[in-house]
Amino acid sequence: MPLGKADYGDVLTLQRALHARRYAGKLGDLLLSVEHNPVFTLGRSGSRDHILVPTDVLEGQGISIYEIERGGDITYHGPGQLVVYPILDLREYGKNIHRFVWWLEEAMIRALSDWAISSARKEGFPGVWVGERKIASVGVYVKNWVTYHGLALNVSVNQEHFRMIRPCGLSVDTVSINDVCDSKVDVATAGMKVILHLGSLLERDIVTMDPKEVT
Amino acid sequence: MKAELVHILMPDLGDVSKAVVVQWLQPIHAQLQEGDDLLEVETEKTTFVIPSPVSGRLTKILTPETTAIATGDILGEIEAA
Repeated sequence: MPLGKADYGDVLTLQRALHARRYAGKLGDLLLSVEHNPVFTLGRSGSRDHILVPTDVLEGQGISIYEIERGGDITYHGPGQLVVYPILDLREYGKNIHRFVWWLEEAMIRALSDWAISSARKEGFPGVWVGERKIASVGVYVKNWVTYHGLALNVSVNQEHFRMIRPCGLSVDTVSINDVCDSKVDVATAGMKVILHLGSLLERDIVTMDPKEVT
Repeated sequence: MKAELVHILMPDLGDVSKAVVVQWLQPIHAQLQEGDDLLEVETEKTTFVIPSPVSGRLTKILTPETTAIATGDILGEIEAA
């Protein structure tokens, strides 16, 4: 379900509502794709110490901070980044957290491969890497075996914003698809590709929905 | 009649070798309903909510925040209602 460009807070509220409806069996599985306005989010193991610039600088640039429930530390979302939020009932997929995170990473690795970008997992550092540079993150919340939050893939992100934080608490360089790809990719196209690969891994057909059908 | 004590166990999350307690969502002695959100654990960038297995009173928290845990570990104890 493509949401286009949307504020983080609005989509967080939507995710929580859809999670409850999915658990109640009032909805089927959903994959939301979205591009956010600039925001830093702190997961359960996140620390504000990993924000490297003063709050007033962030406010001046219109960057908000959210402390949220997903796993992981701090990350950035913003223009030029694909974010996908799967609202899935893992009871229908074998109740396996490790495999679910593997699927998220694998969908991005396969999409990147379609653009001839070689990427990989890195032992002990979840996410997807192009060499030593991080191109994608994962961070998930599972309650009653139903998921929300998800993955973020850099398509053409403002790297200056990433330099304001220590992503995932690490001192790492980040990279975007368009830094390492000859053809220019847009977020909507990246979203379709990642979702198709994810559907294939989940062994589910993908049907595009209008957000009005569920909101 | 003696109250039944029920262990809160770390569930099998599937091929997960290690996890850590992030936070207890209920204080010690809290009155619980079966299915109430009890604590959060984290593994592989995933926060997982463990629900209360029964209704009753939370009598023991054996694994405080940041404790490393594995499948089947006893995390706490509930005096079943």
